[in-house]
Amino acid sequence: MSNIKIKSKNLNVYYGQKQALFDVNLDINEKEVTALIGPSGCGKSTFIRCINRMNDVIDICKVEGNIEIDGIEVNDKELDVVSLRERVGMVFQKPNPFPKSIYDNISYGPKIHGKGETKSELDEIVEKSLRKAALWEEVKDRLDEPGTGLSGGQQQRLCIARAISVNPEVILMDEPCSALDPIATAKIEELIDELKKTYTIVIVTHSMAQAVRVSQKTGFFHLGKVIEVGKTEKIFKNPDNKMTQDYITGRFG
Amino acid sequence: MTKEERLKKRHRSEKRFKLYGVASIFVALLFVLILVQNIFSKGSSAFMKTAINVEVFFDPELLELQNGASSDDILQADFFDITIETLLKAYPAKNLDEENELIDLFSTDAEIEIRKAFLENNNLVGKKINLEITASDDIDQLHKGNYPRDLPEDRRRISNFQLNIYDNLVESKKIVKNFNNYFFKNGDSRNPELAGIGGALVGSFYSILICLLLSFPVAVLASIYLEEFAPKNKITDFIEININNLAAVPSIVYGLLALQILLATIQLPRSTPLVAGITLALMTLPRIIIPCRASLKAVPPSIREGALAVGASKFQSVFHHVVPLALPGTLSGTIIGLAQALGETAPLILIGMVAFVVDIPSTPIDPSSSLPVQVYLWSESAERGFVEKTSATIMMLLSFLIVMNFIAVYLRQKFEKRWN
Ligand SMILES: Nc1ncnc2c1ncn2[C@@H]1O[C@H](COP(=O)(O)OP(=O)(O)OP(=O)(O)O)[C@@H](O)[C@H]1O
Ligand SMILES: [Mg+2]
Repeated sequence: MSNIKIKSKNLNVYYGQKQALFDVNLDINEKEVTALIGPSGCGKSTFIRCINRMNDVIDICKVEGNIEIDGIEVNDKELDVVSLRERVGMVFQKPNPFPKSIYDNISYGPKIHGKGETKSELDEIVEKSLRKAALWEEVKDRLDEPGTGLSGGQQQRLCIARAISVNPEVILMDEPCSALDPIATAKIEELIDELKKTYTIVIVTHSMAQAVRVSQKTGFFHLGKVIEVGKTEKIFKNPDNKMTQDYITGRFG
Repeated sequence: MTKEERLKKRHRSEKRFKLYGVASIFVALLFVLILVQNIFSKGSSAFMKTAINVEVFFDPELLELQNGASSDDILQADFFDITIETLLKAYPAKNLDEENELIDLFSTDAEIEIRKAFLENNNLVGKKINLEITASDDIDQLHKGNYPRDLPEDRRRISNFQLNIYDNLVESKKIVKNFNNYFFKNGDSRNPELAGIGGALVGSFYSILICLLLSFPVAVLASIYLEEFAPKNKITDFIEININNLAAVPSIVYGLLALQILLATIQLPRSTPLVAGITLALMTLPRIIIPCRASLKAVPPSIREGALAVGASKFQSVFHHVVPLALPGTLSGTIIGLAQALGETAPLILIGMVAFVVDIPSTPIDPSSSLPVQVYLWSESAERGFVEKTSATIMMLLSFLIVMNFIAVYLRQKFEKRWN
């Protein structure tokens, strides 16, 4: 049994008057892929944005309860979000590379965290990150071209490389393949498989097949509540809950 | 109606709409064309000036100088007599009246021009040179064809005797048209042939510079704070509404404000580019804040989130990513704001920039004019010479505005980054 990396306890999230998450209790194992599934608007994004405190950006968003990473409370007001986000990287639904060169996209994170002191150190980080994101071979000759000039799938791998560049422990992915074609999706899934050796990964997906392919653990959300969590095989073969059963067989959602 | 009929009707209305569009663009262009043509035809002659070629003899006796006199002596030397001698040689005059009329053909600056020629060349004492002396405004206008010579003599400013001399000079090719450097170099003058926009140019330059230095940093910082850092609540909403209101306040109100606060209360020097710059800065501030905030808003939130997600602080995400992307829009908004300030007249009139200023201001706290105010001042003058100068000044002002707007468009197109 692997270690628990992230533990949420009675997590409640409100957007103004509206409650988006209700008493979410969810454990995420180290060096494993955890998939979050559920119908649109059920709070999957809200949940993973709690893990790296991205919800701080939204004025009306209020978070109550606990999330611990390695036993350290994330919702602690004293906690430095910058170092939290250094440990917990994020990849968004729509690829959002900076409108800068490929090289600058990757080297930005290490630079602001003082990780690459010299040019050669930075070069090394850039190459390593791009290799891990399986993008190196495609872009090694045009590192100074704008990242926004890449194809959608390449852009998303660039964003993954950007997340990897600061050497995080956890990578959060919010529907990373929803804007991609099947071939690019397959590449990213392969990549996730590779990345889980080093990183703890949480992925939100609308594709059941993808959840089955990439994840070891799956959580099913509905209307802001966690309905069922368990090993991916079990969730998809014989779920305990009737709602989960209905959802994965496509009877609602 | 059948389907076909409906389709036809749709096509027809589309065609009609296109026609209206083209027609209205055509009308707009026509107006611009008429305006430009009008200004150009009136103003272009102001860039040339009429001069009369005369022979100057630097008579040592009249100058009371010897060759190799010290520079002090030269500066002290009296050129009045030489000037009179020179001008009188242009045509034989029979009596004092005729002599006076003859001298009136030349600009009042004839003496200064002769003196300048003397100072620029070495050892002219006892020598003769040919000089082109600026003609008076009347001769200038006559030569440019702006003056009706078929009026009866008593209704003309130019007498028959003078006309006669003029025709003589033309025949002997002694009258020339030169580039009018006075127009760019000189300050204002009561004599149209000597009046220039030099003072107004420098005054406008200082005013706009001060306006830029004051308004740009304040506007950019205010925009960044309001757009990126300030909490969105009633207070910031209120501020936002009022910035929009301020941008719509008529400029003359800013003039009144400056009159009361800058001149009456703080007692800054009146008629100066300093006060003009501050006044224009107040007026320009909201006009820069609005495009600046708009271009900050146009940066997609995903860029901010991307930066935050790799662990950039709020400050870093704004200054490393958002501000550089918003810069082209901000700069072009600033330039357009400054272009508006450059053409602003009303507030400057209120702070006393309508004063008659001959000297070119050397610092922003010297009394000065400015380009649009100069237009206003000259348009009130009766002399024909000022009519062309008014239009020529408008041409200068318009060309500055066009250049500034062009730079604004260029900046936006060249540096605006595309994102998906
Ligand atoms: N910024 C916000 N302001 C107000 N309400 C929000 C905001 N973001 C999300 N919500 C609400 O919170 C609830 C959960 O949203 P969330 O984005 O977490 O859903 P999701 O499961 O990620 O959906 P999807 O699969 O469509 O991405 C929704 O009802 C949504 O309307
Ligand atoms: Mg979502």
